[in-house]
Amino acid sequence: METLFGIAVDGVAYGMILFIISVGLSVTLGLMRVVNLAHGAFAMVGGYVASYAAQTFGLPYAGALVVAVLLTVLATLPLETLLYRRIYGHANELSQVLLTIGLTFVIVASVNYLFGPSLKRIPLPELLQGTVALGPKSIPTHRAFVIVAGAVTLLGLWWLLERTDFGIRLRAAVDDPAMAAALGIRTERLYMATFALGTGLAALGGVLGAELLPLEPYYAIRYIVLFLAVVAVGGAGSVFGSAAAALALGVTDTAGKYLIPNFGEFFFYAALILILFRWPQGFFKGKTA
Amino acid sequence: MSATMTDAAPTNHSAARLASPRRDLSWTAAPLVGLLGLAAFWVFPEDLGLMTRIAAAALYVLSLDLVLGYCGIATLGQAAMFGTGAYAAGIAAVHLVNDPLILLVIGGVAGGAIALATGALILHARGLTLLMLTIAVTQIVQEVANKARDWTGGSDGLSGVDPAPVFGLFRFDMVGRTSYLFALAVLVVGMLVARRIVRSPFGLACRGVKEDPVRVAALGGSPRAYLVTMYAVAGMFAGVAGALTAVSSGIVGLDSVSFSWSAEALVMLVLGGTGRLYGAVIGTVAFMAAHHILAATDPFHWMAFIGLFLMGVVLFLPGGIAAGLERLRDRLTGTKSGSAPGGRA
Amino acid sequence: MTILLEVQGLSKNFGGLQVSSDITMSLKAGDRCALIGPNGAGKTTFVNLVTGALAPTAGVIRLDGRDVTRLSAADRVRRGLIRSFQVARLFASMTVREHMELAILQRDRRTFRLFASVGRTRGLAAEVAEGLSLMGLEAVAETTVGSLAYGQQRLLEIALALVMRPKVLILDEPAAGVPHSESQRILDAIDRLPKDLAVLMIEHDMDLVARFASTIVVLAQGKLLCSGTTREVLADPRVREVYLGSRAHAH
Repeated sequence: METLFGIAVDGVAYGMILFIISVGLSVTLGLMRVVNLAHGAFAMVGGYVASYAAQTFGLPYAGALVVAVLLTVLATLPLETLLYRRIYGHANELSQVLLTIGLTFVIVASVNYLFGPSLKRIPLPELLQGTVALGPKSIPTHRAFVIVAGAVTLLGLWWLLERTDFGIRLRAAVDDPAMAAALGIRTERLYMATFALGTGLAALGGVLGAELLPLEPYYAIRYIVLFLAVVAVGGAGSVFGSAAAALALGVTDTAGKYLIPNFGEFFFYAALILILFRWPQGFFKGKTA
Repeated sequence: MSATMTDAAPTNHSAARLASPRRDLSWTAAPLVGLLGLAAFWVFPEDLGLMTRIAAAALYVLSLDLVLGYCGIATLGQAAMFGTGAYAAGIAAVHLVNDPLILLVIGGVAGGAIALATGALILHARGLTLLMLTIAVTQIVQEVANKARDWTGGSDGLSGVDPAPVFGLFRFDMVGRTSYLFALAVLVVGMLVARRIVRSPFGLACRGVKEDPVRVAALGGSPRAYLVTMYAVAGMFAGVAGALTAVSSGIVGLDSVSFSWSAEALVMLVLGGTGRLYGAVIGTVAFMAAHHILAATDPFHWMAFIGLFLMGVVLFLPGGIAAGLERLRDRLTGTKSGSAPGGRA
Repeated sequence: MTILLEVQGLSKNFGGLQVSSDITMSLKAGDRCALIGPNGAGKTTFVNLVTGALAPTAGVIRLDGRDVTRLSAADRVRRGLIRSFQVARLFASMTVREHMELAILQRDRRTFRLFASVGRTRGLAAEVAEGLSLMGLEAVAETTVGSLAYGQQRLLEIALALVMRPKVLILDEPAAGVPHSESQRILDAIDRLPKDLAVLMIEHDMDLVARFASTIVVLAQGKLLCSGTTREVLADPRVREVYLGSRAHAH
């Protein structure tokens, strides 16, 4: 019972981090059709900025979080104009993979040059240390915080996409780019805004998840397969698909590590193959939102 | 200029030049590689170990070119075939036989078998889904190799591969002369066989599938059957390359079946140029030589360099080094062709 | 004469929209049939259903007496049901010669020869040359299709269809986009086709239809309006009203 509860809490928290980071990738893939292997690098940059801001300037956790997200978005926006815009679209998969692998390598090398190869931490405020009681059980406060943050992100995205003008345009462009252009939706600006949204989410996830996905220069390469897996299973462009896939994969992976520690990876990838074999467009594809 | 370069599909451009009525010199590639390889044998006697690894890797990258350059399958899972071949040959060498040629055959069969089995399963997919599936296959193979410690040595690697002399005559010496010449010979033979395949009726059909599978079906062909067959053939090449690495180095590690080894193959191929076969060799030599020099100081310097280079190739040199060389040759010989900068609308 | 193509009660719904409803027709060996109808009459849908690009909602398609309704497009091609595309659909980076070689090798099921040489396949070069000369394409044999004039691409489409030895040949507006001087070549080639094969041609140009067709099938709004000999159909007042009338209107 204790194990199951532990699995549930850790799995859901882990899944929420996967969700926050992957949903950014999913949205850009759904709209711009770009397989962005540098997405993990963006998350890593967010984490490093927060760590630096907190350690060097003594910024509080919340402040470091905001600074990290804003700086990451600002730093990556020029990349959209200079690089990504050239490789949008269906036919460019290979160019996309190569260009974004190249970008990832450059970011990894730069991060190592600037911050060194050692593990970086983002000190948690006292508020997030310790545990909170949940009925008869208690769970680590940080895990609870991550789960709540994930839920808030999910609701926020839902509101953004369903209730705002930006969301309506975005969904229209995902569903039918030609029609959207014909209706006078300015895709260039929309792409830029969506790209910013995607990297912002990556940075947010990188900061919040630093306890679960530790910050070191190879972070960008180590976890990108995981984020891609979430998107592939969830279906490109689907917010709820990403959430469901991230939670499912997070819990599966955690359960695998707890229960069958020697074959965790094996089951994760076997499940991935089965799901993609049966549902090549993603398990949760169907409703775009 | 860069904009027009990026817009043009590199493949069209490569085939357009193959088709131009100029004399076809592509048969010279394999003998040339053999000659240059022999020259390198005399010039760099200290670097035989590195050069042996390059020769085996070139064969591996060549296998990826068969899949990507001639069928248009974007994959991040070629290491699954390489690693399976390497482990099959390594395990066979420890337990069964030690004739190097038989070991290569074992590696080729193993690589081809896993490619056939997984290709039949996953090649219905496209785009990101296919990329994910190829990654997943590689991770599973790696996980199996990691867990089957009794056979593979797990994370310690498989050692104790001690091949018999080639043809019973040439011993594998300590300096690595036999290893290098053996690897070079296998690479040259591999290039010849690959050239034969891409110029066969089967190769022609695969090029058709790469461009328009629906049109191939309208000619009565089954696109998927071609893809799976070529995937299996390329798997055999990759398996032989893996076995060659095992035989010449004496060890097999988990990194031979890793995601990054798959990605590196893609990088090397694109550096050299896809759809040419010799582009695979050029790319591998350039990549691994640069790696040897730069990574010796600091692996992160290497990453920065290769990352920038990769981005540059995608943005400014879509056909890779080989296309750049061909363009240069056209400039020098004054050949007019549609690929001259600015010559395309 | 044997019936080569038989279509019974063929229907197709997209969602609630019925784009083909209950079409029945047949082609005998030697038939030269024109399929006409105003824009949006469902001609292309009908061809896609027959060739297997679309799956019908209801109905049966028989080719040379065998039910092919559930077979894939490629399987139907292998059984002799060949089409040419309305908009030339070719392999942009391959040469004209390579197209012909691929079509012939595919027809003869020699495409799984991994170690044979295309250049040295017996009889191939001669047959390619013959097929090309039929359409006057010898001069551009080594040209990549991407840099070929549109009219020549259409001629290559037809050459490919002919070289595949069809039993039933479906030509989707074969002369559209071809200069007038060249369209004669296409008609000549069709005239010279073996008499025992059936040809179905979708065509707008009534001069061509009158010259080519012995029978006509008229579609309107996804339904079979009428069919019969060329003379009967062209005289039918309903056809004048629906087809010729709407065309006159459109121009």
